[in-house]
Amino acid sequence: MTRPLVLALGLATCATLPLSAGDLHGKVTCKGVRDSGDAVVYVAAIPGKTFPAPKGHARIDQMNLVFSPHVLPVLVGTTVDFLNSDAVLHNVFSPDSCADKFNLGTWPKGEIKSYQFKKECVSATLLCKVHPEMEAFVVAVPTPYFAVTKPDGSFKIADVPDGAYTVKVWHPKLKATQKAVTVTGPSAADFEITK
Amino acid sequence: MSRSIRGPRGMLFLAAGMALSCLVSTRANAVPAFSRKYQTSCQTCHSIFPKLNPFGTAFRLNGYHLPGETEEQVKQKPVSLGADAYARMWPEMVYPSSLPGDAPLALNVKMASLYASSHDDTGKTIIHNDFQFPQEANLFAAGTLGNSFSFFGEVTYGENPDGSGSVEIEHARLDLISAFGPEHLFNFRVGKLAPNLYDGFQEMWLMTNNGADNIFTYNPIGFNGGTGLADSGGGVSLPARTRAIEMYGVAAHRLFYTVGVSSPIGPGGSSGQFNNGSSKDFYARLDYKLGGLALDGDSTGVKLPPENWRETSFRFGAFGYWGDGGDVDFAITDPEGNPFKMRQGRFSRLGVYGSIYLGNLNLIGVGVHGSDDLSLRDHDTGAEISTSTHTYDAWFGQADYVIAPPFQVSVRYENLRPADPSVAAQRTLNANFSFLVRANIKLMLEYRRDLNDSQNYQLATVLRAAF
Repeated sequence: MTRPLVLALGLATCATLPLSAGDLHGKVTCKGVRDSGDAVVYVAAIPGKTFPAPKGHARIDQMNLVFSPHVLPVLVGTTVDFLNSDAVLHNVFSPDSCADKFNLGTWPKGEIKSYQFKKECVSATLLCKVHPEMEAFVVAVPTPYFAVTKPDGSFKIADVPDGAYTVKVWHPKLKATQKAVTVTGPSAADFEITK
Repeated sequence: MSRSIRGPRGMLFLAAGMALSCLVSTRANAVPAFSRKYQTSCQTCHSIFPKLNPFGTAFRLNGYHLPGETEEQVKQKPVSLGADAYARMWPEMVYPSSLPGDAPLALNVKMASLYASSHDDTGKTIIHNDFQFPQEANLFAAGTLGNSFSFFGEVTYGENPDGSGSVEIEHARLDLISAFGPEHLFNFRVGKLAPNLYDGFQEMWLMTNNGADNIFTYNPIGFNGGTGLADSGGGVSLPARTRAIEMYGVAAHRLFYTVGVSSPIGPGGSSGQFNNGSSKDFYARLDYKLGGLALDGDSTGVKLPPENWRETSFRFGAFGYWGDGGDVDFAITDPEGNPFKMRQGRFSRLGVYGSIYLGNLNLIGVGVHGSDDLSLRDHDTGAEISTSTHTYDAWFGQADYVIAPPFQVSVRYENLRPADPSVAAQRTLNANFSFLVRANIKLMLEYRRDLNDSQNYQLATVLRAAF
């Protein structure tokens, strides 16, 4: 590749992407629960900006009578595949209106059933009627800028364009919160949530 | 016909009381299942087990939840019986709950060496020196079932001095916590239980080996009214355990109440045999705590010392128990030895309770005034001859002092004025020195003396372990 061609490609890239982007990282301190994992940090809807639904499917597995992952954030429009990896029958349903209270029925090991989260849904509780203790959450958010915290509360959302945003935090057991965050290259934001 | 019971006979009753205290094992309540659940020491809740400190009292009254309990405080992750989301789907789905993460069991073992005196029928002093190894073993099950239910069970194996043993379900109860309304205010429990009526002074909450027998084992049956403590087969005093439905709660952090309805107790002293009659007994208690940690564990506006057995507080209240002895005939004799039968009819027990904490010192006082309707009957025909009402008074004052957490002492004075006016008041001294070898192992040296004519005594060396 010649130097002029590289330069041209570089200019073309700059023309289609924001001038710069950085990782938004930080920590969510979750009070009153065992650890600070499973909080979803995401950039709220950006006025005038929409994001196409990804073509690829997300996946939640049912293995050893547990949904995995326990919390799955997705961009609105994403289709989630529910795989049964257990030798027992599983069911997936949601009692939440934002997920149309779907019920996918019951299916055996190795099979997949899918559901598309067509609208914002914070959050859709996933349950299994066969095993009442099973619980998971899909959080369908309006931007592709999201992350799930690790047990120590840390998170990193990659490639957030520079700009001023409302960043929200959701947790399965704690009160949601939000704050205004300005991203200029690598930026940090910390949160604390309680019951 | 003379009705007097004097001199040697009265002394015999007192001697019987002392002997009774040798034979009747005391109840043990220290539940290491909670130590495992919260990964915390016994001393979080007990000043010296089984005596609860103010925090332990709040934990118990909160249905075995820590005040303001959060998920991370529970170190044994419970087993889910349903996702939390099922709560908002009820009644389409079963309401969610949980099981303890591990089997919520605990064991208490008590070894006792008893050196005691008593009198035989001729008035001769007899010395007993008995190794009761074990005297008692208790298997506990206690814990919570989700946020709304808790449970407590106890099966006791008691070994008698002759080596024979007995097994008894002493407690089996289920509590519904904060059923509705403000938190802590409306709780319910059902089962075989020690009523909250005695919170703070029943023997299972005292640090001493002996309980306050004058409160719980008085026998109201006698030709001229009760004469002293019951051995097996006595009438109803205050039932240490009942089959009951109870409502209890804490209002405004510091006002405690309980009301209950229970099956009547038949003959058998404080533990009692349960009477299957249709009538029911009733009980109620109301008390208030000034200063110190609130009864629900709230510490807002209170400055508490780091030593959790210390505080400055005053808890006081009143309680009552009303019941019917039922249609149980007790065989009695008049002073001349003529046989009769006696029934205990309606009875009432009205009491006051007070507990003062002054730093390392805890003063406890309880007084009970009892009234019994007795029906004297012909021994052969059962025909009623006469009815009468008799009253008695029992009280004790106890001082517990924490020298240092491993070393604690207690002195208790008990007084019982039996209903029979011919029998002198029974006065008893109980002194205890306790050494907490470890948080869950304690060694006690306890001296108990009848201050009346018999001067009988008991010296107990007791080793207790909870694990």
